[in-house]
Amino acid sequence: MKITILNGNPNADNVKFDNYLKNLSDLLESSDHTVTILKLREMDIKYCRGCFGCWVKTPGKCVVADDSHDICCEYINSDFVLFASPVIMGFTSALLKKAHDKLIPLIHPYFELVQNEVHHLSRYDKYPLMGLLLEKGKDTDEKDIEIISDIYRRDAINFKTSFCFIRLTTDSVEEVANEINGV
Amino acid sequence: MRLTVFNGSPRGEGSNTKILLEHFINGFMTTEGNIYELAYLSRVKESDNFVKLFREAEHVLLAFPLYTDCMPAIVKTFIESLEPLCGKKGNPDIGFIVQSGFPEAIHSRYVERYLEKLAARLGCRYKGTVIKGGVEGIQAKPARMTRKLFESFYQLGKTFGETGKFDEQIVRKLAKPEKLSRFDLWILKLLDKVGLANSYWNTMLKGNNAFEKRFDKPYII
Repeated sequence: MKITILNGNPNADNVKFDNYLKNLSDLLESSDHTVTILKLREMDIKYCRGCFGCWVKTPGKCVVADDSHDICCEYINSDFVLFASPVIMGFTSALLKKAHDKLIPLIHPYFELVQNEVHHLSRYDKYPLMGLLLEKGKDTDEKDIEIISDIYRRDAINFKTSFCFIRLTTDSVEEVANEINGV
Repeated sequence: MRLTVFNGSPRGEGSNTKILLEHFINGFMTTEGNIYELAYLSRVKESDNFVKLFREAEHVLLAFPLYTDCMPAIVKTFIESLEPLCGKKGNPDIGFIVQSGFPEAIHSRYVERYLEKLAARLGCRYKGTVIKGGVEGIQAKPARMTRKLFESFYQLGKTFGETGKFDEQIVRKLAKPEKLSRFDLWILKLLDKVGLANSYWNTMLKGNNAFEKRFDKPYII
């Protein structure tokens, strides 16, 4: 499968986190997956301004020229996407959220009912499965993890997919790779 | 009472959040002696000043639109900048407003849990979260269709200005519907059948000469 890892680590000094992802990627490649790690902090991503240009001016594309186009392209052509981030103030990083907000060109503005709730229509025929990898901060507790996990599970409905798992960097790379192999 | 308002909409001064806040603040200011300050988080270059404003605040109101079922990234950036204030004494009370384009409140209930936890993390007394759906498009609506909404935010601000609390009854009313009723669903399906459910988008698509391209899939390799 084609796997994309969104590395939402904002801090270049947090080498441990980047190394974890590198090891995970190597292990996944050794079992015949194609893995791309997008190191978001080294990419030029502008904040979503909520202009809806990607829905009503240039359908499917952000009107701003930045690296979010590469992210969208990698994302939609993947079978599985791993959202990876340290937990900062009880949620995934602002860096990862910045990239996440810029994924809405992949969805269509039109409404549809999903489980009797209003959501947006798919733009593409197929969307990658989602997983979440978190590095706990000093102040991260079980409730934080539960809240993050529930928000991502909800958001998977918007991104026309299933939220497969949440894992922590205290789990071994092998365990996380097995989890991905099993999706 | 001194209120510090953070508008967390990436649309800044053109935002629907701004309009709701205006009505809230108008109500708030009817109590003599009340004062307020307003900061736009969309002005990211002023972020050092945001932390200072927060630290010096007595009561904080943070309002934002729902982005991918959560806060917009500019709001998360702001929250991260508050990290040094965690556990410090004298942090302000805090309340939140989350507005979204979805008609139902349920979409915003998940970030509500985050916000309550955030208040605890900062050691701020939590005043609650006001949830309002169906806000996208209010600027295109005739005044008679938004009168009730604006009046509710005015009353919410007014009672907040008097008591320092969100009026529970108004909060409950604003959050309706929590989920769509069978009648709402019937109406929506009917609108969809006659091709009106998406007229808001179609008008804009046509205005931009993009209607024919609305189903484009630009990133397929």
